[in-house]
Amino acid sequence: MSFDAQPIVFSEALIAWLVTAGGLLLLILGVSFLSALSQGNSGLKMFSSEAGGVLSDLISLSPRRIWALSKLTFIEAYRRKALAVFVVFALLFMFAGWFMGGGDGDITNDQVKVYVSFVLRAISWLTLPMALVLSSFGIPEDIRVRSLHTVVTKPARRLEIVIGRVLGFALIGTLVLSVMSVVGWIWIVREIPAKAQEMLVCRVPVKGDLTFIDRNGVPAEKGINTGDIVDFRSYIEGATKARAIWTFSGVGENSLDAEGNLNLENQFFAFRSYKGDMNHQLLYDFQFRNPEKKISFTTNPMEMGEFRGVRNKISRKLERPGDEKTYDLIKDFVTSKGTLTVEVSCIDREQYLGMARPDLFIRLPDRSFAAGYFKAVLGIELMMILVILISVCSSTFLKGPIAALLTFVLLILGGEDSHKFMDQLVTGRSKENIEVLDQQVKQLEAAYVEAMKMPDGDQKEAVVQAAKKQLQINRNKLQTIKDGFKGGGFFESIYRIYTHMNDTTELPEGNPAMTIMVKVDDRLTGFLWLCKQIIPRLATFNNMSEYVANGFDVPWDSALLPCVLITLGYLLPCILLGYFALRVRELESK
Amino acid sequence: MNGLTSQQRKLTYLGGILVLLIPIIALGLPSDGKDGTGGKLAQLRARYELGEADLGDVDPSSATMNLVLLGMRGVAVNMLYADFEKQKNAKMWAEMEATTKSIVRLQPHFEKVWEMNGWNLAYNTSAEWDAVPDRYGWVKKGGKFMIEGVKRNRKSTHLQYHVGVIYQKKIGTADESTYFRKYFLHDPDPKFKDGVDHEFNPEELDNYLVAKKEYRKACDIEDTEHKPQHITDRSLFRSTPARCQFDYAAVLHKDGKFGEETQIAWQEALSDWTTKYGQEVFTVPIGELGSGLKFDIRMEMTKDEIKREVASPDDVVHMIDIVEKYRKMVNYYYWRTRGKCEAEQVTSESHRNFYMANQAYKNQDFIKARDFAFAGMKGFDDILKRSEFLDLRSEETLVEECLLGVTVWKDIYRLSQEEPPADYPLKWLVNEYQGNEQLNKNVMKTFKRMYLDINK
Repeated sequence: MSFDAQPIVFSEALIAWLVTAGGLLLLILGVSFLSALSQGNSGLKMFSSEAGGVLSDLISLSPRRIWALSKLTFIEAYRRKALAVFVVFALLFMFAGWFMGGGDGDITNDQVKVYVSFVLRAISWLTLPMALVLSSFGIPEDIRVRSLHTVVTKPARRLEIVIGRVLGFALIGTLVLSVMSVVGWIWIVREIPAKAQEMLVCRVPVKGDLTFIDRNGVPAEKGINTGDIVDFRSYIEGATKARAIWTFSGVGENSLDAEGNLNLENQFFAFRSYKGDMNHQLLYDFQFRNPEKKISFTTNPMEMGEFRGVRNKISRKLERPGDEKTYDLIKDFVTSKGTLTVEVSCIDREQYLGMARPDLFIRLPDRSFAAGYFKAVLGIELMMILVILISVCSSTFLKGPIAALLTFVLLILGGEDSHKFMDQLVTGRSKENIEVLDQQVKQLEAAYVEAMKMPDGDQKEAVVQAAKKQLQINRNKLQTIKDGFKGGGFFESIYRIYTHMNDTTELPEGNPAMTIMVKVDDRLTGFLWLCKQIIPRLATFNNMSEYVANGFDVPWDSALLPCVLITLGYLLPCILLGYFALRVRELESK
Repeated sequence: MNGLTSQQRKLTYLGGILVLLIPIIALGLPSDGKDGTGGKLAQLRARYELGEADLGDVDPSSATMNLVLLGMRGVAVNMLYADFEKQKNAKMWAEMEATTKSIVRLQPHFEKVWEMNGWNLAYNTSAEWDAVPDRYGWVKKGGKFMIEGVKRNRKSTHLQYHVGVIYQKKIGTADESTYFRKYFLHDPDPKFKDGVDHEFNPEELDNYLVAKKEYRKACDIEDTEHKPQHITDRSLFRSTPARCQFDYAAVLHKDGKFGEETQIAWQEALSDWTTKYGQEVFTVPIGELGSGLKFDIRMEMTKDEIKREVASPDDVVHMIDIVEKYRKMVNYYYWRTRGKCEAEQVTSESHRNFYMANQAYKNQDFIKARDFAFAGMKGFDDILKRSEFLDLRSEETLVEECLLGVTVWKDIYRLSQEEPPADYPLKWLVNEYQGNEQLNKNVMKTFKRMYLDINK
């Protein structure tokens, strides 16, 4: 796994949604009210009558009519040959073997990963464009052929039309997705030979928090970077005091397997500073520590399995030959709060062991592959509903092709890279911010190191975690600002390009034009912030496939719940906006 | 509006279509596979060998992909390369390999793509893995990838040459070469049951012999397809098959094989060097730049032969000078002397004696070790004093072997608290190299490793 998704905090997500959605609603209402006000009494009357109409539409929603409209949408989509997408799907799977490699019965974990990724990607790449095109052209086409006139003259409300459309498209999309996912699942199971079927699993990990100690025994927030471009993992030096310390919460009897072993699975990386003993991979050991009882137990050295992973079955009864003293892993090393501390060290001198938080976890009993696979399919379903919502909403005020284009652009902008880019653009615009944050980060670093030095006890863990979290937040903020600061905002960038001014050179001081330019840029960036909030972050949906492809179950709090919340977050604003747009729209204009 | 009726207009269009069809058919009629058949375009394609099948095996999937992408191949390849970079940096090897395969499907005849990606798998990715069998697995993947590239591009001298490089240099001279060479004949992958991966080593040969064959194929492509290579000077390029045979013979010594097999290997190396490579014709420019004067030279060219080739005495001197320069560039004399020397029975025996001395020393059979070392010293003393092998005195690998033999011989005297004789064979060589610190350091390093082996 090359990412580490953090669990979503529901309250924070709710507040962020309320601010954005509420802000948008206020903006729309404000603009409508002001434009009504400008027309005097008649305008205000119109505004109040419209507001009353909206409320009446909301109150008199009829599930029966919505269902009827949904069925209509479903039949319409069927007649538009939406199901032809199955032909492409079938073709793709007929020739998929060409691109998959293997095929000689020798399937590795890596190949399984490629197979699963291929199926999930193929499903999403086929269903999403289908949903996008169908839902973007639905309402505009109804307006064009004037079939909407017959609907709106009936007791059906416009809100019901929007909801019915969304529901209908979601239904046909779900039908297509269900068939494809089942076929895909059968294809994967059939393609993987019987002897390799055991690789199709859903591991259930319990992840801990990771901290480091450097080679001198001083607490550090990270290990060493041995030259990797992606700074996801950091390394600890062998045969020094350097350690990687994992703290697992909620550990108890139920964390053990049927034989009473704790399954600790790792996927550490190796970095050799010299050739060393090539007959063996690097060695590491685990040290279990209980800060309350001040006891520790070190396991025998174990050989790592780079890029394959190693599952260490740690017996509950910890003993060593020649040592009479034995420990009980759960009773002796799990603290009163249910935490287990595991220290990892590299044995080989001048060699390095690399790791990130997800690289060591307690493996609970596996779930079936189908469980994780269909959760990932649910992720695709949620993304499809999101696409339908945006498309239907935009098709109420745009023509079909433009609505499709708008949704497509939003999808492209929803990628992780573009979000990172937008993050850089919308945060931190003044140099003062950098200096202040720089100071804060330094203070927090010192506070974190102090917290790590605290004597072991009840307080320490909480203090360390709080300090670490705050430090990470401020560091990320600082980095984003530093990245985004280069070159300034919209007008400043133009000015710099025109005058050939380097992005690190200060703007001329005391020039009122410059001050105005920076202020205007600030306002524009504020607007960009709002735009960024509207664009969905789709990496969350894509992560689900990554979990399954890597043989993990899809976690609820860091993968499934965020996707459900994002989709729900768009549901109400999109339907309301679509309804509002359809209500004020002149249906005669094609 | 014209005065034609609807029917008349339709008939006119039909006539126009039929007239236009005639040149289209004449130009675009497909060939039925035989020479001179098909339309003009098919004939031109056949004449200039521009057809897909002329370049190498046609991969139906890549042809389909290209068709489906409707001219967007460049964009797709760019996106794939962006993915490739991300996956490489995040060490997502399985995904990176899959992306690599997709890239070559879109660019099956872009030689550099095969070369770069094959190299990336065999060298860069392989080095990222900690276990040596895993590393070997990636070397194989890179090698097989390049072999696939050659199948798709049968006329590529470059790709064929790089296949040879994987076999010769990656397997033969990497840090892990001892393991890689062993794995080449006994694959660590359990599915080969300690046998050979026939996809990578179909004839179950030593890696140097496979490399020799691959280099030979590259030379053949250069000859038959007239596809010049731009990797190195042609004289060096053409020497690669013979050099592989030398490497093979030398590695047999290293592996402790001194029998007939080794001697034959050296004889074959000498023959490859002098009768095959030595007789290759190289066209070299002579005189002022741009004068256009060119002569054909051979490494085994005698002065008399040169005199027969050119008329003026000035040109003779010039040509002799050029032949000498080319010989120096490829170290021709050295390899010829080495080949002649190693092909002799006494050299083989002397190598064997040193090898046996080292083995006996490791097994703490010191009396035997001293006798073997002395016999080896005597043998090489005799060889290196012969006038035809004087050049070998500057060959560091051989000198290191001799000095190691002397060190072992002296150390056994030290262990038995005796003084070695004041005069001994190869004493002159020890004195000659006394000032060469690096060489003496290397000898001591190898010796210490042997000493440590005793203590294990």
